[in-house]
Amino acid sequence: MNIVPAPPVPTPTGPLLPPPAARRAVRAGLGAPAPASVWDALEPHLTLVQKPAQYVGGEHNATAKDWAGAETRWLLSYPDTYEVGQPNQGIQILYELVNERDSALAERCYSPWMDLEEVMRREGIPAFTLEAHRPLWAFDVVGVTLPHELGHTNLLNLLDLGGVPVRAAERTADHPVVLVGGHAAYNPEPLAPFIDAAVMGDGEEVTLEVDDVVRAWKNVTDPTQPGARDALLHALAKVEGVYVPALYEERRSRDGRLQQVVPAESGLARRVPKRTLQDLEEWQYPRKQVVPLTEVVHERFSVEIFRGCTRGCRFCQAGMITRPVRERKPETIRRMVAEGIADTGFEEVGLLSLSSADHSGIAGLARDLADDHEGTATGLSLPSTRVDAFNVTLSNELARNGRRTGLTFAPEAGSERMRRVINKMVDEADMLRTAEVAFSNGWRHVKLYFMVGLPTETDEDVLAIAELGAKVGEIARSHGGRNKVTVSVGGFVPKPHTPFQWAPQDTPAEIHRKLQLVRDRLREERGVSLRTNAPEEGVIEGLLARSGREVAAVVEGAWRRGARMDGWHEVDTLALWHEAAAAAGIDIEAEIGRERGEDEALPWDHLDAGLEKQWLWEDWQDATSGAPLDDCRWSACYDCGVCPGLDTWHDTGYGWNDVSSGSDGRPSLPLVAIDGQGPLGGDDALPTTAERYASGATG
Amino acid sequence: MTAHQRIRIRHTKLGRTKYLSARDLTSVWERSLRRAALPIAYSEGFTPHAKVSFPDALPVGIASTGEYAELSFAAPIDPGPGLGRLSAALPEGLDITTYLVVPDNAPKLARMLGATLWELAWPLDDQPDDLPHRLEACVRAFLAADTVEVVKRRPSGDKVVDVRPPVVAAAVSTTAPRSWLRAATPTSAPPDGATLVLRTVLRNGGATVRPPDLQAALAAVAPDGVDPPPTTRHSCRVAQGHVVDAGIKEALTGAVEPLSTTITDADAA
Repeated sequence: MNIVPAPPVPTPTGPLLPPPAARRAVRAGLGAPAPASVWDALEPHLTLVQKPAQYVGGEHNATAKDWAGAETRWLLSYPDTYEVGQPNQGIQILYELVNERDSALAERCYSPWMDLEEVMRREGIPAFTLEAHRPLWAFDVVGVTLPHELGHTNLLNLLDLGGVPVRAAERTADHPVVLVGGHAAYNPEPLAPFIDAAVMGDGEEVTLEVDDVVRAWKNVTDPTQPGARDALLHALAKVEGVYVPALYEERRSRDGRLQQVVPAESGLARRVPKRTLQDLEEWQYPRKQVVPLTEVVHERFSVEIFRGCTRGCRFCQAGMITRPVRERKPETIRRMVAEGIADTGFEEVGLLSLSSADHSGIAGLARDLADDHEGTATGLSLPSTRVDAFNVTLSNELARNGRRTGLTFAPEAGSERMRRVINKMVDEADMLRTAEVAFSNGWRHVKLYFMVGLPTETDEDVLAIAELGAKVGEIARSHGGRNKVTVSVGGFVPKPHTPFQWAPQDTPAEIHRKLQLVRDRLREERGVSLRTNAPEEGVIEGLLARSGREVAAVVEGAWRRGARMDGWHEVDTLALWHEAAAAAGIDIEAEIGRERGEDEALPWDHLDAGLEKQWLWEDWQDATSGAPLDDCRWSACYDCGVCPGLDTWHDTGYGWNDVSSGSDGRPSLPLVAIDGQGPLGGDDALPTTAERYASGATG
Repeated sequence: MTAHQRIRIRHTKLGRTKYLSARDLTSVWERSLRRAALPIAYSEGFTPHAKVSFPDALPVGIASTGEYAELSFAAPIDPGPGLGRLSAALPEGLDITTYLVVPDNAPKLARMLGATLWELAWPLDDQPDDLPHRLEACVRAFLAADTVEVVKRRPSGDKVVDVRPPVVAAAVSTTAPRSWLRAATPTSAPPDGATLVLRTVLRNGGATVRPPDLQAALAAVAPDGVDPPPTTRHSCRVAQGHVVDAGIKEALTGAVEPLSTTITDADAA
């Protein structure tokens, strides 16, 4: 996107709406007349806005089902622009699942950029879907994924643009149910007044269960009857994993401190559990991935090769909340890749997970996939930032078809002490050896990811980032004068449901100071460049990540003052947030900079991500004393709390590699490394194609 | 270099696909070719690209039934069924309408596209009755002029262009609704009624003149007392080929696309 000025203060004028009776008619079940398409109102403006192709739909695998033929209708959204939101894997999966049902339809909707929003507000055009350009208000469920906290204002904006009151209490049975999921839904409290329900965990099963509930409710409900909407919210709260904030209330002490969030009536879960799929093999999605017609951030066919991560990096929310590890079988992955690229025509395949080199069958899988697609234009990518030579070997294999350009590693911290604190267990010798292997194998650019602002960090730890970058730079130069190293440093934002949920967050001023230390040290270093983000960006994220319902007024206040697209560098909204916070009596920097105590109630204590709070606390204590923790996939269980109750061994996988299987017949990954191999699921040297042909072990 | 099978095609760009940029189209063609499982040739180098070339990018938002591209195949395909599959794999609005297999020594595609027939349309539903007369008056004045300079606004800086020289002929008529106006869109509006149409043939190769420039030129030459027609966003690149007396000889088929019933034409100038 081009650079744009700060957003104008919104004129919160909603779209033009048909009269209530007409709205009710299109929102009915089977046989309802379709709402008018907004296309004709929209199209005259399309050549006047940036990147109009993002608003037209018409993509391969986009599905515009018959409105009248569906009993329930879902609008799925990622609250950011199409460019950012379209590739989201979660939306893609749920879109297919819902549309596979005869009784349901799903369409997609993204945030308009501010130039189109201005037109929409002026012309009364509602937020619309891409499939049939239908207005948001006409759907039964508005399902929104929140991968991070910086889409909160976009969510409010989308509801408002879509003709739906932003406050849930003002909605009736004539309005959609607003349902959020995704990682930021693990603390939905700052959005409590605006959403109807939040779902934690894997969305596949629970989405279909919610669809069943909505369908059953529609079939017996007259929306004009009092209590109709309330009945739906109660039915939703009965679905495992669904949290309905309106049915819970905060208990606060006299001085205003949160004591706990409790059900406001009987019959509700005191702690709402997350949902966990037991077997990814049963959910082989996406099959028919939507292929964008215009540029988006990731243009590739994506296959999730496993879900979850057990490395235990203490800063990493994704790694904590998505446990346990559940792998897809290599043969399933190969088939999904082959079918997916034939169906979509994508040139690139992404093998997704939180740490893809950790798949227990990755070495063979990489080799087989490279064989399958050798000599074609298909490129394979493995988003993995693991710091070891094995990762380089894998990348060599996958890059067989193409060039060796850039490799990314994430040591996350510069000093060994700091890496013990965050439990990123890689020593400097490993790191340097990995760089050596990478550059000697012909890779020309290595990117290193780091964070500053980590708990217990000293200036010495910060400078160690620059030192490590400089050493890798030296290795780069020794293999060629044009080799490059990029040191990328971000400010750490503590997240809920992690051992660092109690940690203080550095102020932007402190992050600036630390970044300057790194910058000064690297200034003279040839071939090493530094990339940083504005530390201010972490402020809003930090506030929303760990606050409770008291911050909802700030979210609404910031939005009403014009804040949206908070995740875009081009749009500076921080001043609006500070204004809104001041109006609500909240000091943002004090709030994010505060270390939480063991006895302090946390706003998400009633939401169960599977991890025992006591275990997280102990791990936090271990962190501050620098005690590391092993990956439980390969070592003994340390009772984090996730696995009991699941129908899986404490580390989940398949017996296909026949290294070990669960003692009671449940599937399991190898608990111990095979002799002579690294402990991380593969040896450092895969046989080359030539060696394999020579040994006859092809196929 | 191995010889590739080269096929030139004519295709449409209508409806939603009007809003795709030239850059977007590159990926759309590559992916559609892969979905159709056709052996398109790839360029050499670090980032190989499917060998699909377009002589002239169409501005975003303008419809076309006269887009041309050249495809190079690494192995010969049976063009009828193969391009049929490709057309089906392309997004709705992009349809292959004609093809021509050309030998290696064929002149460049751009040389077959010497002139373009453009069409601008004004649906008459909400327009005052005198609009056809106003448009005709402007077109007459334009054709009578030797030069008509307009300012093209571009990100790299404004540029003055003489719109008159490339224009070979122009004709105004009132017709039934144009099919390209509504094709491949998710519209729910009632069909258009009578439509005022300006058809004009422009020689390619000189200054680039697009429908917005033509409209600016018509407004610039409006005779005293004549309100120029309102700007229309509806325009279409109908066909390309070579100028013949009656219109355009289409590049691939040789069929003549007439300019239309003459109200004004180049001879009147």
